[in-house]
Amino acid sequence: MIKQFLSLEWKQFKRASYFQKGLAIKIFLILGALYFGGIALFMGVGMFFIARKAIPEVDPIVTINNFLIYWFLFELLIRYFMQQLPVMNVKPLMTIPVKKDTVIHYLLGKTTLSFFNFLSLFLFLPFSIVLLVEGYSPLNVVCWFLSIILLTLSINFLNFLVNKSNTVFYIAAPLLLGLVALEFYGIYTASEPMGIAFNTLYSQPYLAVIPLLLLVVLYKLNFKYVKSGFYLDDAVSKKVKAVEATDLSWFDRFGSIAPFLKNDIKLIWRNARPKQTMFMSFMFLFYGLVFYTQDMYREMPAILAFASMFVTGGFLMTFGQLVPSWDSEYYKLLMSQNIPYRKYLESKWYLMVVAVAISFVLSTPYIYFGWDIFGMIAAGALFNIGLNSFLTLFGGALNRIPVELNTKAKAFSNTNGFNPTQLLIGLPKFLLPMGLFYIPYKLVNFETGIIVLALSGIVGIVFKNFFLRKIENVYQDGKYKTIAAFSEKK
Amino acid sequence: MIITSNLSKKYNDTQVLHIESLDIPKGQSFGLVGNNGAGKTTYFSLLLDLIQPTTGYIKNNDVLVNESEDWKPFTSAFIDESFLIGYLTAEEYFYFIGELRGQNKSDVDALISQFEDFFHGEILNQKKYLRDLSKGNQKKAGIVAALIGNPEVIILDEPFANLDPTTQIRLKGIIKDLAETKGVTVLISSHDLMHVTDVCERIVVLEKGEVVKDLRTSAATLKELEAHFAGTETV
Repeated sequence: MIKQFLSLEWKQFKRASYFQKGLAIKIFLILGALYFGGIALFMGVGMFFIARKAIPEVDPIVTINNFLIYWFLFELLIRYFMQQLPVMNVKPLMTIPVKKDTVIHYLLGKTTLSFFNFLSLFLFLPFSIVLLVEGYSPLNVVCWFLSIILLTLSINFLNFLVNKSNTVFYIAAPLLLGLVALEFYGIYTASEPMGIAFNTLYSQPYLAVIPLLLLVVLYKLNFKYVKSGFYLDDAVSKKVKAVEATDLSWFDRFGSIAPFLKNDIKLIWRNARPKQTMFMSFMFLFYGLVFYTQDMYREMPAILAFASMFVTGGFLMTFGQLVPSWDSEYYKLLMSQNIPYRKYLESKWYLMVVAVAISFVLSTPYIYFGWDIFGMIAAGALFNIGLNSFLTLFGGALNRIPVELNTKAKAFSNTNGFNPTQLLIGLPKFLLPMGLFYIPYKLVNFETGIIVLALSGIVGIVFKNFFLRKIENVYQDGKYKTIAAFSEKK
Repeated sequence: MIITSNLSKKYNDTQVLHIESLDIPKGQSFGLVGNNGAGKTTYFSLLLDLIQPTTGYIKNNDVLVNESEDWKPFTSAFIDESFLIGYLTAEEYFYFIGELRGQNKSDVDALISQFEDFFHGEILNQKKYLRDLSKGNQKKAGIVAALIGNPEVIILDEPFANLDPTTQIRLKGIIKDLAETKGVTVLISSHDLMHVTDVCERIVVLEKGEVVKDLRTSAATLKELEAHFAGTETV
């Protein structure tokens, strides 16, 4: 039976639309995988020496063990947003004589091959090898390594429980947040006992049975969960959610674009994929923390200009690049209805502008890094509204990949909305703000750089109608192609 | 109202539709029948400018469909589920279509209140998104949405499929009423010969993209169609 499943799986993989895309994308994906794998490998090897250099008086393995809990937390967080229990096309299997248990074991087994599990493997395998080379006791190292992998797999299964059941999420999330907060304010350092626990795990090899037991328990729980839901009207098929009706009549004041605006808000609120995009775009707000805190970047204002644009541009870029695609499921309706493209585009533009404005308000704490930084963020926001918005909408117009609204995007198995054109269009988004800032900065001074960047955005707003007309033409020209591409079933 | 001239559609040298000439006068209820792949949906898609004709044109009320968009205000359609917005409730969907067609909330309410019978209590106030409705109920919502905004031309692709018997009978009443009393040009396609002969004044049979029969419905029409599709037609 398993053999047949594997052959089905292989066919699904081979015939999936993303695999049949151009050679360029395949190469890019392979390069991407190599890149991330390479980084993990490099980190794995380097970790030992970095730890030894940073805290020379402590044994590197102890240092790593002390920080291990953060790694696992990070992993859990990333998994929560990116990884979903794979959906197997279970409907045709329900009526043929296969044991339910076989299907479920297979389904759960399959998840162990997830990219996220390999990330841990790539990171800790080289690290363990370094440990062995450095003359650490093989028994301890091997058992420790096994424990890490077992814990990674436990997190793999824990994530599905957290993802599927709100109760688990509402218990786990505040608990974790609370611990992190306590730690941050130095009230109680929960990482300390965890560090001790990991160190004990290393010094007492036989304790590897604990993660093993944990894994077994979590696997059993998942098994039970999936089995109890192995009916069409349950977990396997879509859940019917009660309607969350909100009164959006406030938006009627936007006149002729109001129907679209109201629709877009419902689109974001009621569908998994755009909701995920919105949460992801929230992360962009913290981009500045990476750049403004490091002195290295302080000397590279062009990079800072780029970061400042990112702070307020998260939603604009992640949502905007898929602009007609969001409506792909009912594109035929829009095309045969009484809709001027202009209004449609304009409503998306306003949505992006509002998002930039909200991000800008949320970014006020960056004043902490100085007014010059905040001035850059403000100029970046203007650039986003005036130029980046049109660039993004233009790129979206060339993008003809349908989006499934109510399915979360999966990491590295989904190239929805990604193609070489997109990449090419993406370049000016990054290079323009850097250039607009850097050239006047070099020629005159810092303030002029900021002013030029801000002015470029204002110019864009002035020429709004011109830009929208140009984008409208792209839409008109590609109409039939877009309809055909969107109605293609994957 | 709708003039089709020398219209053809080819996909890589395979001709899927070829109509020399077909005129549909205003207020006619027009039925299109044919086996799978006969070109019914292709014709409707061309009418809505969703695909590009290889040759020829369709004029809808003197508007060249593939060149101007001016046919949109008086034309409406329900072809398949891609005409529904899955994450809206039926009411929200009706109001959205209404807004696009210049109808305010009370206009839409007045219209849909006429269809309470047709909805059979399964569409309105359901607290359910359209994507969670059954196929049949989705169809009901889509058909009624196509009636919003007093369109002069209504195009329905297989409106009877997936509907329960009661609703099929009610739908027939609605379509007849539209053409007879309101002067609306209604175009439907169907695999159900009985329904089509009941409802349509005129029936056109497509076969491999070509018009093979053009009948004014009479008492003998159903027999003739059955004979045609059974392949036992006597010449």
